[in-house]
Formats: sequence, structure tokens, C-alpha cells
Amino acid sequence: MLNYLYKRISHAVEVLLLVSIITFAVLMWIPGDAAQLILGSDATPEKLAALRSALGLDRPWYLQYWDWLKGFVSFDLGKSYLFGQDVSTLIRQRLPVTMSIAVFSMIIATVISIVLGILAAIRKNTAVDYVSTGLMQLGSSVPAFWIGMMSIVYLGLELQWFPIAGYVPPERGFVAYLNSIALPSMVLAIGEIGMLLRTVRTSMLDALSQDFMDMARAKGLSSFTIYFKYALRSAMIAPSNVIGLQFAKLVGGTVVVESVFSLPGIGRLILVAVEQRDVFLLLGLVMFITTLVIAIALLVDIAVMFINPRIRVEMQGE
Amino acid sequence: MGDEKLLDIKNLTIKTGSGRVLVNHISLDMEKGELLGVEGESGSGKTLTAKTIINLLPENLSWEAERFQVLGVDYLKADPKAIKSLVGGRIGYVPQNTGFYLHPMIKIKDQIADGYVLYSKSSIEEALARASKLVGAVGIKDTERLLNSYPWQLSGGMRQRVNIAMALMNKPRLIIADEPTTALDSTIQKQVVDLFRAVNEAHQTSVLMISHDLGLIKYYCQRILVMYGGQIIEEASAGDLFAMPKHPYTKLLIKVIPSLNIKRGERLEEIPGHVLEIGKPRSGCVFKERCSYRQDICATEVKEQSLDGFHTFRCNFDI
Amino acid sequence: MRCKASDSVASKIRIKKKYHLIMGGGLTVLVAALCLLSFIYMPHNPNEMNLGLRFVGPGQNPAFLLGTDNFGRDILSRIIYGSRSVLLVCFVAVALGSLAGSLLGAIAAIAKGPLSAVIMRSIDGLMAFPGILLAMMMVAAVGKGQEGAVAAIGVFMIPPFARLVYSLILDSENLLFIKAAKSYGISRRRLLAKHYLPLLLPRLITQFTACIGAAIMIETSLSFLGLGIQPPNASWGLMLNEARQNFLQYPYLAVGPGVAIALSVLGFNLLGDGLNDLLIRRRS
Repeated sequence: MLNYLYKRISHAVEVLLLVSIITFAVLMWIPGDAAQLILGSDATPEKLAALRSALGLDRPWYLQYWDWLKGFVSFDLGKSYLFGQDVSTLIRQRLPVTMSIAVFSMIIATVISIVLGILAAIRKNTAVDYVSTGLMQLGSSVPAFWIGMMSIVYLGLELQWFPIAGYVPPERGFVAYLNSIALPSMVLAIGEIGMLLRTVRTSMLDALSQDFMDMARAKGLSSFTIYFKYALRSAMIAPSNVIGLQFAKLVGGTVVVESVFSLPGIGRLILVAVEQRDVFLLLGLVMFITTLVIAIALLVDIAVMFINPRIRVEMQGE
Repeated sequence: MGDEKLLDIKNLTIKTGSGRVLVNHISLDMEKGELLGVEGESGSGKTLTAKTIINLLPENLSWEAERFQVLGVDYLKADPKAIKSLVGGRIGYVPQNTGFYLHPMIKIKDQIADGYVLYSKSSIEEALARASKLVGAVGIKDTERLLNSYPWQLSGGMRQRVNIAMALMNKPRLIIADEPTTALDSTIQKQVVDLFRAVNEAHQTSVLMISHDLGLIKYYCQRILVMYGGQIIEEASAGDLFAMPKHPYTKLLIKVIPSLNIKRGERLEEIPGHVLEIGKPRSGCVFKERCSYRQDICATEVKEQSLDGFHTFRCNFDI
Repeated sequence: MRCKASDSVASKIRIKKKYHLIMGGGLTVLVAALCLLSFIYMPHNPNEMNLGLRFVGPGQNPAFLLGTDNFGRDILSRIIYGSRSVLLVCFVAVALGSLAGSLLGAIAAIAKGPLSAVIMRSIDGLMAFPGILLAMMMVAAVGKGQEGAVAAIGVFMIPPFARLVYSLILDSENLLFIKAAKSYGISRRRLLAKHYLPLLLPRLITQFTACIGAAIMIETSLSFLGLGIQPPNASWGLMLNEARQNFLQYPYLAVGPGVAIALSVLGFNLLGDGLNDLLIRRRS
């Protein structure tokens, strides 16, 4: 058990290291460097060279990487040339927006997937099943930005249910805050439902076909007990793992959704960094998000292990 | 024995959604307090018949019957709720030991008690006290520890004893035991079967025991049905069946029971051929492909014969 | 007994899968036909501006079936023309990505040892980037436009193919006919061509189809963010990006391109599902 945990964590660290190398390699490839960006295209070569040596850009790439890595480990992500601020400060300012819609949409997607997935499994090959299969296909084929635009027009503008753009921080009223992130979260959730719903349905079907379900029925228990005490308990392990993985896709999806709804989040920051080729900002953002996502997947994994009594009991035995 | 019929089934047929017949027009009845054995190879339809009685037939199968009464409840007319509470409250089901009939993530005490709390309208404490008593009766010493375990912490034999205790919780009037002793040690096998007999004697509980182990059924049951290819091919009291088996299949079955005084180097008897593929449309005798007494007539028809009204069999000959 | 008796359910599923194949095939043929049509006939020049005819709604003018945009360009023509760039970028990108991925996977599976570890670990690293982050990074490196989009999507497609080929080759090493072929000293190249390729091909085709669907999703997202195909070229994602300024007043601007994207992604996804059933599950 502890052995597994150790393996899992060291694998996560390894992957992160790889991601940082890949990111660094790709971004070093960008033509024109930071010095050029800061001074503009009409800078004299002497000035450029001076700035380069001041920033340490004239050193070999592995030394630059090493310095950057040392900084990353001590939570120093370097400086954005574009904003002239620390990357970590920029992230901190925008993180609440992105996390709000990511977490909120994860909750929406999870609830809908579990409810529909269970219903679809219990009422297999009925209308509920077909509707949720359709939803699954739709969710994975319709781009989030288009759903976003359509919902702005119909839910925001025509029905006036939600504000169509902007973010209200929770300090300025919790209801207004929820209202401002509701629509983006729902839009983001639609794309996530597909995979999750499929997993819930499959593992619920699997649970329903287990022998212990026969026994629960033979005892004449109520449908509620049968489905919630017996079936759901063993059906929730696989989906919980998927939730951890889906979170990664979801954080990536915020870029598009934040752009549609003009939200000042990390996604917008990434877009600016890509457009303006702000290497250190982009590097910091990519590494930050990847770390976050891997850490969450790891935490979910560990949490799921503790749900499973088999592992819990073995832990007590150790 | 009382004269009230505990089980009264006439012409039960079980089919798949595409119309393949798995159980073909079988009739069986049981008296109160009776110990009935159903014998047959896997695929003979015996488990499906039992599952129909406890209303657990897989969704893709359907059944029909002329008459289907269990403990006075008419399955053809009763609403699903009544059948559900009958199955839960008055029938005990002991499953095959090979499957995993206990939920791996729920403690034994939370599984053994829930049916009792529901149908005996009792508190969880009373339920656990009864569970503890029954688990003790099936030969488990440390009942407290057992009830606080998860199923995967127990051996197969322990789990099966929990299954049996669970079936006895609601003081059932009918116990349906589907291969209850498969894969158990022979000492535990005997213990389990003796327990059934004790319950039978103490509470007049009827037991329908399904097994492919003819030796076990002989030791234990009063009356025996032999099933083959979805039909009951012979029915007789235990004594009669062994003294004068009539159907060629039954004869072979009795012959293949490994007897202890087998000689060194002697081959064990086997039944020639394979179990027929069930559900194919067929006419005549179900056993004709493997039968050494086969005549042309067997391909088209089969006679139902009765010796004295109690011993019946389906064969064209009286050998 | 349960699985023996479940043939009716199985046949139902088969019908459902066949419907996937037909629906998916139909939609992809439709998209391909749209693309071909762009070479033969278009109602208008997709880039022809007509400032006198701005924001003509759909159905208002029979000459512009789906209406015109903020520059008076015909939306239908732009959708037809846009299919060209979307399909071109996606096919080229997935083709390159699948080729590179398959090669890497095959090398890793055959070489074993440290080389294999390095390759497969790098693939793990590529897989760890959340969502379209990797694609955006590639755009930053290569630059906006078609080349950037191809690079972004291509790199994105390397891991799934590498993993597929890697695990398939490792799994099939235990297959008897491959052991037999090895035992009589078959050359590596022959082994690959005669035995592995037929084994791999159906899976690769299925994966390729499904990846085209995913690629369209990424391409249109990048274009929507202004990182993909650049104006004045027509592309569905770009059309939606341009529609953003005016779609609150003229929602129809966003409907056409969105439907085009959704139907083509759905088409390739369904076709992938259907092929998966036809080529893989039925064999086993």
C-alpha cells in the first residue's frame, strides 16, 4: 500500500519533470527571444546583447533550464516581460476565476453524469438510456465555444437568466458570484459529461450484473436499498478515478470558455502569452496547470483508495 | 405432512427473448415440510426453475405457466410487490458457493441484518442478536468478529455459511438451495446439509435442494426430480429412484457415482456424449443422442409413463 | 446460462452499432462532398465583400441562402470553402501525427531496453499536458496559421498512436503464428509487413477516424481563439471568431459554422465507433 503510494508519487514527479523538459524545449525553439520582445524590433544589436547577458539568455539552454527548475521548486516562476510582473503574482490574481468555473462545472458534470448514468443503467434500452447516449455523443461533438455563444444568445440575452459576460468575485455578493460563473460552468460541463456518463453507466451495469445484486433482490429489499446501498457502492470506484482524469481536460477547456465569456482567468492569460510569445509567462502557466492537474488526479486516486474498505483494512493491519 | 401445497407449478416454460426454449413444460409441487431434490447436469434448467420461484430470472428471459403458486401466492395474478415481499420474507435463498453473493465492500453485519429489519419489523439490535445466534448455529465460533468482517476476509466455506445463516434469518417456510455445497470440504458439506435437516425438523421448513451431486441428494432428500435438457425426465421417491431407476439417463447417473470400493486400475464410469445444446427446437426424446436404447420412434415422440402415480418418467420403453 | 441466453440483447447492440456506421458514414461523406463541391461550384466567391449587402438574414435574399456577414460575404459559400481548410489541416496533421506516433511506438516495442523507456516516458509526458495546452504551446513555437495548426494537432496525435502500436505489438508477440514465424527465422521487415501490419491496420484505421473528429475539434478551437487559420481565409472556427462582434444582434452568424463543426465531428466520431465494431470486435 505505502509502496504503491510511493510509486504513484514518484511517477507523478517524473512526469512533471518530463513535461517541464518538453515545454522548455518547445519554447526555446521560438524565434526571436525575450530581449527582442522587450526592446522591440528596431533595437540595436549591442543593446540586445547587453540585455541578453543581463537576463542570462546567452548561456547554454541546459543552464537556463536548471536555473528555471531551481526557481520552480521554490515557487518562483520568473517574470513576465509583457506585464513586468512575477508570473506567480499574475497566476494568483487570476486563479480564483479559473478554479471557480473548473470546480463548479466539475460538480455539475458529476451530478448529472451520476444521476443519468444510474438511470440509464437501471432502465437500460429505454428512453432514458437513449437520451443519455445522445447527450454523450452531443457533448463530445459540439464545441464548447459554440454552445457558449448560443447560450449567451438564448439563455443570457433572450431569457435574461444569466449575465452574459464578466466575473463578480465572491466578496461582492455570493449570489452575484454564482450567477456570473453559472453559464460558463454549465457550458464547460457539457463537454465533460460524455465520458463520465459512459463510465458511470458501464460500471453501474457491471455492478447490477454481480451476484450480490441477485442476493439483495432475493432478500426482497427496497429498490432504493438495492440500488444505493448495494449497486452504487461498487459502481463508484471507476468513475471516481475518471473524475480525477477529466479534471485535466476541463482545466484545458477553460481557455476557450473564458474567452467566450470574457472572464479574466488563467485561460485568458495563456492566450495572451501565446499570442505575444511571452516565453516565461507561458512556461510558468503550463507548468503550474500541469502540476495542479497531476496533483488533483493523485489526490483523487488516494481518496478512492480510502473509500475501498479492502485497502483501508489492510492499512490498519500494517 | 400437511396437505397444503407449498409449491404448485404446472407447465412452466422459460424462453429467451428470441424464443429459444430453455425449460420446457415442467410441473412440480411440494408439500409442507418436504425435502425435495432436483438433480441434473449444468444447463439442464434446474437453476432457472429455482430462479423463477424467487423471481430472479434474468431480464432477457421470460416465463409462462398454466399455474404458478408459491406459498399460496399466485405469481400469475399477484402484483410485483406481493411477490417481492413473499420472496424476501418467507423464502430463504442459498446461492451457489462459486459466485460472490456477498457485497465485498459492506460488512457482514450490515448485509445479514437488512432483510430481517425490513420484514420482521425489528430493530437492528434484535437483527444482530439473531444473526449472531444463526451464525453460531452454522458452526462459527467467533461470531462477533465474523459479523464485523468484510466478505473477502473470509474463506469460501465461511462465506457460504454466512449465506446460509442469512437465508434463515426470516424463519423462511421454504428454502431454495442452489448447489449449496459445491466447492466445500466434505466435512463442512455434511455439516451444512445436517443443518438444513435440523431446520426442517424443528420448523417444518421445506427445502428445495438443487445439486448435480446425486450422492448428496440421496443421503438427504425424500423425493427427487431428475432434469435433462429443460425437462423433468424422471420423478420418484429417493428410495424408488435408486432401487429401480427407469430412465436411461438416471441409470447412467447412478452408475457414475464414484463408489468407494472401486478397484485399482478400473476406469470411472462416464456418460457418453455431451450435454445437448439447450434450446434448439427438437422433437421426441431429449436424451436420444446419448441413449444406448435409442430406437427410431425416439426421434419423433416420447411417452410419459407412470408406475404407481408417484414414480413417473419420460421414455418410450420400460427397461 | 446468462450469457448463453443474451443473444437478443447482442443483436440489439449490433443494430445500434450498424446505425453508428451508417450515420457516421453518411455525415463524413456529406462533409467530403462539401469539400469537393468547393472546387467545382460555389454560390459566391467566399471572400467577395459586398458592403451594400451586410447582415442579410437567412432566407431574406434567395441569392444568399444562409445570409451574409459583417462584410456582406456569403455565409454558405464561406462554410463550403471552410471545409477545405479544416479537412486539409486535420488530415495532414493526423496523418503526420499517426505516422510519427506509430513509428515511435513500433521502435519502442521492438527495441526494448533504455531506448524504449525513453520513448514511452516522453509519450507519457506529452499525454500529461491538460487539454489543448500542448496545441497552444506548439502554436506559440511555430507561429499562427496553417503550419502552426498542423504542428499543434500533429504533436497532439502522437501519443495515442504510439501507445496503441506499442501495446499491440507487445501483446501480439505472444500470438502463436508470430512465434511460429519467428521460429523459422523470418526477417524483421517481413515480419512487420506480413504479420504485424494486418494485425495493426484495422486498429489504426479506427483510431485514425476517431482522431480526425478530435482534430476538427482542436483546429476549430484554435481558429476560434485566433491562433489557427488567419483571415481573410475562411474556416469554421474563424467564422465563429469573427461572428463574436455581432452575434448578439445577429445570432444566425454563429449558427451555420457551429452546425458544420458539430456534424463533422459527430460524423467522424460515429464512423470511428462503427468501424471499431466492424473491424475489431467482430473479429474477436
